[in-house]
Amino acid sequence: MIVGSTTSSDAVRLVTPTMLLLWLVLATVPLWIARIGLYPYLGIEILIWALYALAFNLVLGTAGLPSFGHGAYFGIGAYAFGLCQFDIVANLWICLAAAALAAGVAGAIVALFISHRRGIYYAFMTIAFGQIFWTLSIKSHRVTGGEDGLLKIRRLPADFGVVSFDLTDNVAFYYFVLAVFAVGIVVLWRLVHSPYGRVIAAIKQSEVRAAHLGYNVWLYKASVFTLSAALSGFAGGLFAMAQLAAFPDVMSLHQSGYVVMMTLVGGGLVSFWGPVIGVLLFLTARDVIGAFTNAWMLYFGLLFMAIVLFRPEGIAGAIAAAMQQHSLNALRRRGSSAMRLLFGGGR
Amino acid sequence: MFDLLPHLVNGLTLGLLFALIALGFMLIVGLMEQINLAHGSLFALGAYVAMQLTGPRPPLPADVAKVWLALPLGWRYAAALLVAPLVVSLVGMVIEVCMRRTYGKDPLYGLLLTFGAAMVIEELIRLVWGTRDYVLQVPSAVNGGFLFGDLIWSSYRFYAAGIAAGIIGLVWLLIEKTSFGATVKAGAHDSEIVRALGINLARLRLLVFVFGTMLAAVAGIIVAPIWGIRPHMGVDAVIPAFLVIVLGGVGSFWGAVVAGLLVGLCVGLAGAYASEWSLLSMYILLVAVVTFRARGLWGKKSVLEV
Repeated sequence: MIVGSTTSSDAVRLVTPTMLLLWLVLATVPLWIARIGLYPYLGIEILIWALYALAFNLVLGTAGLPSFGHGAYFGIGAYAFGLCQFDIVANLWICLAAAALAAGVAGAIVALFISHRRGIYYAFMTIAFGQIFWTLSIKSHRVTGGEDGLLKIRRLPADFGVVSFDLTDNVAFYYFVLAVFAVGIVVLWRLVHSPYGRVIAAIKQSEVRAAHLGYNVWLYKASVFTLSAALSGFAGGLFAMAQLAAFPDVMSLHQSGYVVMMTLVGGGLVSFWGPVIGVLLFLTARDVIGAFTNAWMLYFGLLFMAIVLFRPEGIAGAIAAAMQQHSLNALRRRGSSAMRLLFGGGR
Repeated sequence: MFDLLPHLVNGLTLGLLFALIALGFMLIVGLMEQINLAHGSLFALGAYVAMQLTGPRPPLPADVAKVWLALPLGWRYAAALLVAPLVVSLVGMVIEVCMRRTYGKDPLYGLLLTFGAAMVIEELIRLVWGTRDYVLQVPSAVNGGFLFGDLIWSSYRFYAAGIAAGIIGLVWLLIEKTSFGATVKAGAHDSEIVRALGINLARLRLLVFVFGTMLAAVAGIIVAPIWGIRPHMGVDAVIPAFLVIVLGGVGSFWGAVVAGLLVGLCVGLAGAYASEWSLLSMYILLVAVVTFRARGLWGKKSVLEV
């Protein structure tokens, strides 16, 4: 049940029908998004945050570890992307790798300190480290530009040797991010369904039991956190390209909390797709409701509270339950019509 | 050494304030094993309500307001110190009633619920009062400064530290020396037996939560003249509160007080030498302590770890 409503046949696949459908729908987004009053940049933002939330959910949903300072790694990735572009080499692939590497290293250092703990102590240590990185980013004016952020980051061309794509246009960049997102989904899907992912899921169920089965729980917890941080940093690198800048505010406690909220509201605890659903809802709601009222966070906060209270398994969980109920009803209908046939109409 | 003295005193007064901020949070963690992330927002709400009550436009009918405003500031301040926590405790009651559904589940749900509540309260504050900064007026008796040993000291800091110490002492008396405290502690320890003894545990929990909320609001009122009143002050308070509890150890009263003082000293001294980094110092202190003492200074085992 860790990965939710997927059937076992999907779990062994590289690409599932759901993924194909999702990519197909996402590929058409630039064609109609402007017509419904939104804009392609929102699509870019949703894809990047979805990738980030999926990476985050590796820790929260798959491993069951409450990390509340994940924005730090997203932010570190964004800064690393910019700094690599300015000071090392302006190559897209190298800069993205630098983003993932920097965040991964930061994540690994934090993992050293926290991987032997659980529950609330784990949660608070991640908050504390998140705050440390956030403070560092604000106060290191010379490196990060302080509260003004690291400006003038360029969208580097995607160079494949034979062909090179210019990504300065939002639609071109959208398709680039979509391609990266698709690869990211496949990688994460395989990871979650690999033997490694199974052990992580077992640790979520019971750390003690996993340890007794002979798994090095500490190492698994540390590695999954590092991996998640690196992937978040990678998404952060993309975000720096999208925004053409890197700002400290994505590293703040609030923003780290938002990714938790998005993941939970979507149903990250029970479904692989939960974070994607949550991000889609959160960012679209921000733009649509935000157009009418400044207090949209108020409504989102209330929705979040209601979900924690009444549907902790989130939207994906609600959908799965509804589908199950539907098939159960269909079965019941079929059953009762069979009974009617057998007993001549019944009563 | 003499150069250091003002920073030490400053750190100690700040430490008492940190302990005061953490007090309500600690009660709810220690006696209910629930993390109340809305603590900071309730803290902020207390400051806002007190500011509204003592300010030039109190939320009262015109005639009453006139009489009210004619009173000296000291009276109005003292009244606000009592009334604002009561107002805020209503919000606390709503949160506790919502939170009942999460009792017995993973404590993470309570934490997430109160995170949502914190967000809602902060947004409500923004809606009602806007994003600008406010100042809480304090009576002139505790305002201003005095000279001592060639240095100017702020009277308010000492007043605030004294109040903080007093409240800490009162809370200790309440939970250690009264039957209410004994029942509450027993309820946290073994809820089934306490219920079997005919004690209404639901009401007891509500009372504890309301009490924690009121302490948050009082802390907000006391700290507001030093930090200023703005929507973000809730986050600025809840993180140190949480930090003090983790540092002191969950379930330890004096652990929290000592941790508060340590954090205050640490921030105060860091502020003297590298003011840019003073806030960072408390996190480094935490990491340094918790790396070697897994449950903080005097922490006990609790369900919050699983």
